[in-house]
Amino acid sequence: MKKVATPDYTVADKLKTHVAALSTAAKEVVLPLNITTHYPRERKRQPECFRGFMLFDPERCISCFQCSFVCPANAIWMKEAPSGRYYPTVDHGKCIYCHFCVDTCPGGALKTTKIHDIAFRTMDEMVAMTEDMVEPPAIIREDKVVVDYVIDKEDLTLKRTKEVDELIVEIEPSEGVPMVSVCVDRGSCIACKVCTKVCESGAVSSLKDEEKLIVKMEIDSEKCTGCGLCVKECSMQILRLVRRE
Amino acid sequence: MLDADIEACEEGMKMATGSESEAEKGESKWEVEVPEKKLKDKLYFENLKAVVIDTELCSRCLTCVSICPSGLIVTEEDRVGFPDYEERCLDCGACVRVCPRFIYEPPGGLGDYIEIVAARSKRFTGQDGAMATEIIASAIDMGMIDQGLFVDRSEKWQTSIFHVRDPKQFGIGTLGGTKYVFAGILPALKEAVRFTKKGVGVVGTPCMISGIRKLQEEFPVFREKVKLVVGLFCTENFHYEDLMKFLREEKEIEIEKILKTDISKGSMYITIEGREKKRKVKMAEFEERGLVAKGCDFCTDFTAVQSDASVGSVGSEKGFSTVIVRNENAKEVMEYIREKGNADFSEEIVMDEIDYLINFKKKREAHIKELALPE
Ligand SMILES: Cc1cc2nc3c(=O)[nH]c(=O)nc-3n(C[C@H](O)[C@H](O)[C@H](O)COP(=O)(O)OP(=O)(O)OC[C@H]3O[C@@H](n4cnc5c(N)ncnc54)[C@H](O)[C@@H]3O)c2cc1C
Ligand code: SF4
Ligand code: SF4
Ligand code: SF4
Repeated sequence: MKKVATPDYTVADKLKTHVAALSTAAKEVVLPLNITTHYPRERKRQPECFRGFMLFDPERCISCFQCSFVCPANAIWMKEAPSGRYYPTVDHGKCIYCHFCVDTCPGGALKTTKIHDIAFRTMDEMVAMTEDMVEPPAIIREDKVVVDYVIDKEDLTLKRTKEVDELIVEIEPSEGVPMVSVCVDRGSCIACKVCTKVCESGAVSSLKDEEKLIVKMEIDSEKCTGCGLCVKECSMQILRLVRRE
Repeated sequence: MLDADIEACEEGMKMATGSESEAEKGESKWEVEVPEKKLKDKLYFENLKAVVIDTELCSRCLTCVSICPSGLIVTEEDRVGFPDYEERCLDCGACVRVCPRFIYEPPGGLGDYIEIVAARSKRFTGQDGAMATEIIASAIDMGMIDQGLFVDRSEKWQTSIFHVRDPKQFGIGTLGGTKYVFAGILPALKEAVRFTKKGVGVVGTPCMISGIRKLQEEFPVFREKVKLVVGLFCTENFHYEDLMKFLREEKEIEIEKILKTDISKGSMYITIEGREKKRKVKMAEFEERGLVAKGCDFCTDFTAVQSDASVGSVGSEKGFSTVIVRNENAKEVMEYIREKGNADFSEEIVMDEIDYLINFKKKREAHIKELALPE
């Protein structure tokens, strides 16, 4: 068994540590330092990748449902908009802020913000409807100071600056995922045309030759946005998303 | 190095470097052949309905249910139907492609086989020698398949499908044994095929086996993923609601207390909890009341000739199952069973008993001839 032994301090060592402790105490009397942030008057600067309240841009949404499929907390419900398109709504009572939805969105329609402090009065209010996500939520900000973590030699200190941090993250618009849908088992296709019906961009077409009893299926790779909706819905599970050439 | 080794190495390299075959890369243009309609201006489902369902030719194999992309073909009171097909049928024709009775070539006879043996599992108990269970269990053990589809039942003898992944699961509950009512094996097979890695094994009645073969004939996914098909000997099956009503009301049997049902020599023998003697009900009584499924009247296949191996009770002594091994696939499993000593074997087969029922079912060819199918 190992024994824990007291280290051998020389008199000089002991003297040194005592002086250090006394000087820290003296410093605190003159200029007190605190490690906590005085929220809401101060706000910690969050990194650009902070996972907060999500914003949504309907212009970029292709209604592919990927966000709702991927959400591990089942917090996303796709709601029909007056235009007939389906857009996500996020239940903040369920959301675990993993942002898988943001990462998976092929059109970059979901964006992160640094907003993490919204109060809801009722459970119903926690469901952010599509229209609630287009603009950042109205929050009253009292913060006048930004607090940054600074690693100074070995110590962690906080640096305070008199500025206000921007909570909206501006990201480069995504170029879309370079994926395209293809059929990997033509023999198992039943020509049910479910893919044709679900495709939002009209990329999947089918043409029936009544005479020859043949259905010609085609995925137009120019039009295909790689949303994966046909892959999900295909009755025979024979479509796959592959990286564009 | 042997050629085979080199091949195996290259195969491995391909996988490791991720170079994909043509099929894996996929294609964006393809053609699908669709079946011909017997009734030209009608939906495919109306064709199926007119030719198979309305004529009562339907065997309730549920192959159509398994393939229909709408998922709306259902069984109602043991009849196959599609409530609002006028609006919801996608008219793809998948159902008529796979229905073994749309273009019916009735199978029958003893079929091809390598050997016929009588066997009894040492590990499991079942209807007879539990060889249906043993074959699937051994196929899982030897890594041929990763799951087997079995018919389970509730206290009230309603059937449900159980995906067995570990032979240990056979020991519990009511998985072994015959349930003389229809079961949804094929719809479960479609699901299983989606998620299996090694492959699926199935046990079913001859009509289901025909359905499985039809699916395999038509679609590569089923050819690749359904690895072992075990057929059961079968003379007829029953409608659940009618059968239970008859047993409960006329025979005053508490359904929940039934432990086992067995058909032999023209009677059904019912083992009831807490009773020494089995209740005997003559088959004629079922027939008089129309409890035997109508579709079975047109079925000429007693031994499930299209299976990899067929298992039945007639032809071998009590406590044994008769096993007809039909191809190399099934032979491999039987050899494994022998090697591991999982079963007792006996060569004593009474072919006359089997032939008798084959001929009994052959007579039903006349019923098919009498059928007035729509032109
Ligand atoms: C409807 C029906 C009619 C039959 N008629 C005859 C007959 O006339 N003569 C004869 O010799 N044998 C008949 N059999 C077969 C016999 O009853 C036994 O199933 C067979 O001998 C196998 O016995 P075992 O002990 O090896 O099976 P076990 O190891 O006990 O396994 C039984 C197997 O049957 C399957 N099964 C149970 N109920 C059903 C069902 N409703 N549909 C599909 N699969 C089911 C189970 O999933 C399981 O795989 C019939 C079976 C059925 C299901
Ligand atoms: S959904 Fe699948 S099976 Fe149906 S037509 Fe499209 S590719 Fe074929
Ligand atoms: S959708 Fe296709 S499979 Fe289903 S009933 Fe209609 S034609 Fe048959
Ligand atoms: S025989 Fe089978 S596939 Fe044909 S209609 Fe009946 S249940 Fe469907």
